[in-house]
Amino acid sequence: MSVRLRAAAATAAAGAFAVGFPPLVSAHFQMLYVDESALTRAAETPMAIVFTHPFRGGPTMDMGTPRSFYVVSQRGEDAAPVKTDLSKYLQRIEWQGVGNKASAYQAKLPREVVRSMGDYVFALEPEPYLEKEEDKYIQQFTKMVMNVGGVPGNWDKPLGLPAEIQPLNKPYANWVGGVFSGIVLSKGKPVPFAKIELEYVNHAPDLAAKAFAAAGAIEAPHPAFDNISVRTDAAGAFSIGLPRAGWWGICALGVGPLDKHAGKPLSQDAVLWVQAKDMK
Amino acid sequence: MSRGFVETAALLVFATGLAWLTPALAHAPLLDCYVEGDSVKCEAGFSDGTSAAGKKLSVLDASHKLIADAVLDKTGTFTFKPPQGDYQVVFDGGDNHTATIYSTEIK
Repeated sequence: MSVRLRAAAATAAAGAFAVGFPPLVSAHFQMLYVDESALTRAAETPMAIVFTHPFRGGPTMDMGTPRSFYVVSQRGEDAAPVKTDLSKYLQRIEWQGVGNKASAYQAKLPREVVRSMGDYVFALEPEPYLEKEEDKYIQQFTKMVMNVGGVPGNWDKPLGLPAEIQPLNKPYANWVGGVFSGIVLSKGKPVPFAKIELEYVNHAPDLAAKAFAAAGAIEAPHPAFDNISVRTDAAGAFSIGLPRAGWWGICALGVGPLDKHAGKPLSQDAVLWVQAKDMK
Repeated sequence: MSRGFVETAALLVFATGLAWLTPALAHAPLLDCYVEGDSVKCEAGFSDGTSAAGKKLSVLDASHKLIADAVLDKTGTFTFKPPQGDYQVVFDGGDNHTATIYSTEIK
């Protein structure tokens, strides 16, 4: 084969690989999505609960029935936190991701759920998901923090999840260009040098259409930009930048205490969502 | 322009603005009220998370006559039967920092 032909074959192979079989460099993220995490006043709050690869908008995975879905709210720093079970609001839906459809959930939370001022720490404990490619289970303990009215409460308090990210900045009040920090916890203990993946929600979720936008907002210049790799430091803390408005998912991989489920390896991950806003 | 005038002007903007548009100063008073059955429940707090306990909340009718008031306990809440016609609720956060909400905004 001539040099030129070899080059053409290599280009064709690379093209097929890129189009037909996108390398799975983007990471799994359990989403707890609302359009707005900082409410000025209480309002009905539709939420999408989707397991996907948010930078590429897919592939999207079928979710099992969540093991628990609740919110812990608190108005004022000295007030007692209040836990409210939200599982009755879970409705199974089909979510249209980029390239495929999958079983997901929505929760149309009535105004009453977020009626008081204060912080609302939403938490989801999903059923472990079998990742067939790797023949292992993934279970992502996921938090998303909202605020109503500006009175803070428990945004920085851990919920006591097996795998959890404790925020050191309010997840609902971040400027674009700001820095966000947190601590990765395993059963409440900081995890030094934990592996973290950071991913931007690049395909805008549409709650009414139950779909991601087909087109992404930006293109990554290189596969390593699909999800940004970060490590916690020796004390279990990490910092990330927030270069663009929208939602950023932070996932600490395999930090939970269990590593087996149904006879297969299990990765218990911790996910936290952070929303950034343009300074304008 | 005297400093006093600037402060008064700032206070006027503060007092006439909607309660939840209050800028988040280090210790800004925040207030919200909503209808609960045939009553109105108000919640007061501060942007830094400190308690509104011991602070005063007043309900004024359309002619600014005081129709109810309370010194808040640690829950920072006050429930009252709304009067006929327009009224406003004023949370006095101290140091001339107040937050006000009008009956038309209470649902």
